[in-house]
Amino acid sequence: QTQMALGGLDADPDAPVEITAESLSVDQATGRATFTGEVLIGQGGMKISAATVEVIYDEASGDISRLEAMGGVTFVTPTEAAEADRAVYDIAGGNLTLTGDVLLTQARTALSSQSMVIDLAAGTAQLDGEVRTVIEPAQ
Amino acid sequence: CGFAPAYGPGSDAARLRGRVAVEVPATVSGYLLRARLIDRLGPAREAAYRLDVDTSEQSEQAAISADGAVLRYRLLGRATFALRPAGGGTALAEGTVEAFAGYSSTLGTVASGAAERDARERLAVLLADQVMTRLLVTPDLP
Amino acid sequence: QGLAQLVADSVTVTADETLVARGNVEAFYDGTRLSAAAIAYDRAADRLNVTGPILITTPEGEVFTARAAELSPQLEAGLLRGARLVLDRQLQLAAHRIDRTGDGITALTRTAATSCRVCGGGPPLWEIRAARVVHDEEARQLYFDDASFHIRGVPVMWLPRMRLPDPTLERASGLLVPQLFSSDTLGFGVQLPYFVRLGGRRDLTVTPWIATGARNLELRYRQAFRNGWTEIETHLSEDDNRAGPRYALLAEGAFALPRDIRLEFDIEAVSDDAFLLDYDLSDQDRLDSSLRAYRFRDDGYALAEITYFESLREAEASASLPPLVARLEREKVLTPGIGGRLTLRADADALWRDGTGAEASRDVARIGLSADWHGAGLVGPGLLVDTALRVGADGYAVSDDPAQDTAQTRLSQAAGVTLRWPLLRREGPASGATQIVEPVASLAYAGVQGDTVPNEDSKLIEFDATTLHALDRLPGEDLVEEGLSAGLGLRWSRIDSAGRTLSLQGGRLFRDRVQPELFDNSDLSQRRSDWLVSSSLDFGTGAGVELTASFDDALDISGAEARVALEQAQFDLSAAYLWLEPDVAEGFDERITETALDTTLRFGPRWSLSAQARYDIAAEAPVRAEFGVGWRNECVTVDLSASRRYTDTQDVDPSTSFGLSVNLSGFSAGRPAVAAAGRCEG
Repeated sequence: QTQMALGGLDADPDAPVEITAESLSVDQATGRATFTGEVLIGQGGMKISAATVEVIYDEASGDISRLEAMGGVTFVTPTEAAEADRAVYDIAGGNLTLTGDVLLTQARTALSSQSMVIDLAAGTAQLDGEVRTVIEPAQ
Repeated sequence: CGFAPAYGPGSDAARLRGRVAVEVPATVSGYLLRARLIDRLGPAREAAYRLDVDTSEQSEQAAISADGAVLRYRLLGRATFALRPAGGGTALAEGTVEAFAGYSSTLGTVASGAAERDARERLAVLLADQVMTRLLVTPDLP
Repeated sequence: QGLAQLVADSVTVTADETLVARGNVEAFYDGTRLSAAAIAYDRAADRLNVTGPILITTPEGEVFTARAAELSPQLEAGLLRGARLVLDRQLQLAAHRIDRTGDGITALTRTAATSCRVCGGGPPLWEIRAARVVHDEEARQLYFDDASFHIRGVPVMWLPRMRLPDPTLERASGLLVPQLFSSDTLGFGVQLPYFVRLGGRRDLTVTPWIATGARNLELRYRQAFRNGWTEIETHLSEDDNRAGPRYALLAEGAFALPRDIRLEFDIEAVSDDAFLLDYDLSDQDRLDSSLRAYRFRDDGYALAEITYFESLREAEASASLPPLVARLEREKVLTPGIGGRLTLRADADALWRDGTGAEASRDVARIGLSADWHGAGLVGPGLLVDTALRVGADGYAVSDDPAQDTAQTRLSQAAGVTLRWPLLRREGPASGATQIVEPVASLAYAGVQGDTVPNEDSKLIEFDATTLHALDRLPGEDLVEEGLSAGLGLRWSRIDSAGRTLSLQGGRLFRDRVQPELFDNSDLSQRRSDWLVSSSLDFGTGAGVELTASFDDALDISGAEARVALEQAQFDLSAAYLWLEPDVAEGFDERITETALDTTLRFGPRWSLSAQARYDIAAEAPVRAEFGVGWRNECVTVDLSASRRYTDTQDVDPSTSFGLSVNLSGFSAGRPAVAAAGRCEG
């Protein structure tokens, strides 16, 4: 597990996922569950909150393969915080895609852009669209 | 033939008589110019107008003999004037006049010095008279 | 501590903690701005690796361009490769590598510095190549190591070390622009002025003149005080014209004392009559060292002055000039109840001679008191009546001249009335011009009682428009007119709304008796003077003509003087003409006719021609001629001049001299560059 000190998110895709929300609706045909109202997702040290989150399960293993959060999403980890309009957390693929006024803040740098794709396994991140980086130079 | 006395009754020029305060720089040429302008305008008891005049003077050599002696000089004078109502405001008349006055320096130093002072006095009169002519033709003074 | 900002189209964060920004990348830190193709921020090393083309602009106005760079996030310290530094948008320094320390020091290796436009591949007009250049932002100095000066790529001079102020520095000690010259009196040589800044208010310029026929050390010291200034210039030289050392001291200064009093001094001393001409410092023919204090106010003035003269003229002995003259003048102006202006005046002057023989050793002191009243009133249909009264008394003390009584007194009175009847005519609104006709008639009487005092002043009355109606026409105080004199004059002027003026004036002076003291050949001492005509033309746009002339009934001219002055964008010209009939009393026995011309022509932003000439028509010989060519572009100014002086005396022979000055702009010692940077042709 690489420690993403910069530009990424300190997330562990293998950790168990807990989801709490005000209401839940399940669509048997597609296997999707939609949580709405103060949705809070916890995985390891990362907390995700959003207005609505759709959870897609893997037919075979029954595990969660994708989370789609909309209506303003925030990610908080012990070392970083990120927010965006929408986010897709592909747990199976190990990558996280944030779109719409993305803002990521870390110890001494802050990045903002229109979209950000984080490859959790490789520890890389790709920001596109009016990328603005603010660096506080080391003393 | 269309000419009327400039100082005719109720004329603009008559309205200037004895009612113009003259302001000049604190130099020889300024002092002499002011003296002549006051003689021509009449000393101002309570001034309704204010005439600001700035003078500058330059000397050039007018004649140099074959053995390098400067026989004659020429004083070049320039006066920039502006007539305003006493309280200030836009200029009713303004402009720049120029004149020159020559003097000889063929005799001794005292004679040349006296000739130079006389030239400076004549230059002030020439400039002041030109300023007066410009003031006399200024129409519809308040 | 500010924040470094990075803006880009896209940013990639790599696994090894590096952030790579690409596409319209711009970085900002504390006023410094950097734009580049790509920037990689290595957080561990806290460095920015920048790939070009790079443009950096600093708050101090420096501009860097480079191919690649490694910089601190503060964009200050770091290294640029294949870089160019531009100072004050003028001086460009291209370097293989630029190292910037954080504290304002920039080191450039393998540098070429020029302020000329670099076109295509060709070398610029001039450049300075150096192994290393250090730019100290704080001291605003440029230090060159192993520098060579190239013209069009050809090395012409090599200097192990050189220091030049950067363009933004106003007053810095250092070498000023050298002047090449060659003249008959000094040979071929160069002036190397070195400017030494002594604090904020004082400086010293040391200028050695090194020439084939002369060596001169010129020192110029200037000091500004809170209430005045002083400037002292000294020359110490030896040359082939004259044995032994030669010197000149030219000092002057002015101070504003309390209560509006001004104090001025002026010292001029030379070792021999020809020094000023030989070294082309000035063509003064008399030196006057003086100390003056004066105050001018609306209600009067006071002046005290003592002057020491020294003549450089061949035919004049300083001892009899007189050399030492002192003057005191005091005036008080009052406006009495009866109106007009009353001037009370006291003046005194004294002169000392130490020659041999009566004329050359006479000392004279004079004290004078006088009162002048001047009043005017309107009468009838716009007739202005101007009356003037004057009374004066002068006491003289004469010594060392047996022909003169030691104490003499004299009284003088004068009264005059001048009638002025100005008439106006306003032309239609088309021209908005006004014509004014001003007939003026004056009558004056002057009386004198007492001794015939010694006359040190000139006897020549200048005949111009003021002479017709003046009360006291003679210069100085010693000579006074006598009897009745009448002046008749007529002036016509036309002034349009734009201030353009044409004026013509004529007149004549009449007297009831020939003036005893003035010699007969001066027409103004006769019972009927010559005719006087004077005219002036002012075009309003920096162009004017003034002319005055006098001639007798047979239209023989007895005197004329004219002057033209034009100041236009492309050229300015001033020309003058003088005609003076001989006047033995005034010390010249043949006619003086001389004309002078001074013109500068500007051909576009680059070329300028200037010419000055003075020609003595009566003697049919030139007096002086000078010709100059100027060429300037964005990085160099060249001035070439040639002048010839025809003065021929025992000490001074006719001499020609040439001058060349080349000034590289882009360094603060040079003149600011003209914005005439040519486009790159081809």
